[in-house]
Amino acid sequence: MNGLEAIAAHNGWAISVVGVSIVFTGLTLLSLTISQLHKVIKFWDERDKFSQQVKQLWKKEEPREEKEEEEEEETIPDFCLAQDIDEITRQFKLLTKRIGEPFPLPKLLEISERCGLFRPHSAINYLLRTERILPDGKGYFYWNENK
Amino acid sequence: MENLTNLLTEFIANTGFALADYRYIIMIVIGLVFIYLGIAKQYEPLLLVPIGFGILMGNIPVFKGLGLAIYEDNSVLHYLYFGVTSGVYPPLIFMGIGAMTDFSTMLARPLLMLLGAAAQTGIFITFLGALALGFAPNEAASIGIIGGADGPTAIFLTAKLAPALIGPIAVAAYSYMALVPVIQPPIMKLLTTRKERLIRMEEPREVSKKEKIIFPIIGFLLCCFLAPAALPLLGMLFFGNLMKEAVVTERLAVAARSSIIDSVTILLGMTVGASTQGDVFLTPQSVGIFILGAVSFGIATASGVIFAKVMNLFLTVKINPLLGAAGVSAVPDSARVVQHVGQHEDPTNFLLMHAMAPNVSGVIGSAVAAGVLWSFML
Repeated sequence: MNGLEAIAAHNGWAISVVGVSIVFTGLTLLSLTISQLHKVIKFWDERDKFSQQVKQLWKKEEPREEKEEEEEEETIPDFCLAQDIDEITRQFKLLTKRIGEPFPLPKLLEISERCGLFRPHSAINYLLRTERILPDGKGYFYWNENK
Repeated sequence: MENLTNLLTEFIANTGFALADYRYIIMIVIGLVFIYLGIAKQYEPLLLVPIGFGILMGNIPVFKGLGLAIYEDNSVLHYLYFGVTSGVYPPLIFMGIGAMTDFSTMLARPLLMLLGAAAQTGIFITFLGALALGFAPNEAASIGIIGGADGPTAIFLTAKLAPALIGPIAVAAYSYMALVPVIQPPIMKLLTTRKERLIRMEEPREVSKKEKIIFPIIGFLLCCFLAPAALPLLGMLFFGNLMKEAVVTERLAVAARSSIIDSVTILLGMTVGASTQGDVFLTPQSVGIFILGAVSFGIATASGVIFAKVMNLFLTVKINPLLGAAGVSAVPDSARVVQHVGQHEDPTNFLLMHAMAPNVSGVIGSAVAAGVLWSFML
């Protein structure tokens, strides 16, 4: 048997159509899945942040002062999620040993960027806000030994 | 004296010179051409040299019964050939491919995976063609898979469905894989305008390590739940990739992508070559398989390019339709051809990285197609 007759007799048309459809469905599903994969991973990595946001949505309104205090506590820069803050402090202390104390912030920033430290702007900002680094009033800064 | 003459005559009668006929000579010439193409032209030398030498080994005329030929039960070659007929070698090769493949570009632009799916259309169209020419459904499915341009997949499916055709199908599949730089460019140029070939692709986003680790697990589960018959091939492919990406199993990944895949490639190439014994191989059926294989490969390339053009009708940021040709799973040759044809028009246009996405999805697609065909023929 040859020709179209043979194709029809062996169910060729149906096998081809279904076969192509399965291959397309498989790769389309895989494509859709992996196109969302990085979003799912990002969501998982930032799950604490999201859960806090969800909690906030459900929380009743509290007195403003308390809320502000809470917000301050919550606004920990996201580099803290990735790196231990004590480790960052230790790294910056090592750098300031090289440039001496008191030190100018631009110099610290420059040297930390050169050394490839993780997000140096945010890190220095955090050190200032938590008063680990204090201004000496003459445009220079020094380490707060009490922290 | 007479005894001596008899012995000498008997010896001469049993030499290859006396036993040879024109079919062995033709096959030996084909083997020499393969070796020449592999060494001098460097067309897939890692495949063509073992296959070419295997053809020489398989076509030394020997007298039957001594356990020398590959089709004799007690021969050494027959034992080595068991890896082919039982379908052991292809999954091991897939593990090695997985351990050396970087899926980053595909993960960065998953849309390009559809080109890998489109190129598999060639498999099913050729399946229809083979049925129309009078091949049995099992044989037609094995011939169609040549269009996937994936040697191990073609051998695996043929071993399961039409073991008698392994020789011609394997040689056709690997020949066309080696001839990708010759077969694909004219089709690509015919189906695209210069303006289309000049399209530049956007830089892909950076892919995180976590994505790369999770992908083989998700890919394996999803594809194998959909087409369980693809399990031996896709399971090993994704397992190899997981070993590579997990980093902690780097030693295993190195073994899979170097010593294991190299050993299996040698055995597979050599035994597939040796299976092309002139008296078994040179038949009108083999010629039909070669012709259908070429058609299948051409249709697969054209399907990918045409589908890329169709996608462009709906996309705001256009893709270079040449990428569609990389949907056939000859990794990385078809991606290299895309780069070459693209750079022929614009030397500053780099398409290789982007072409790897449909190329590796083509590997997945052809394995799924093989699984689907196998399950339909059971």
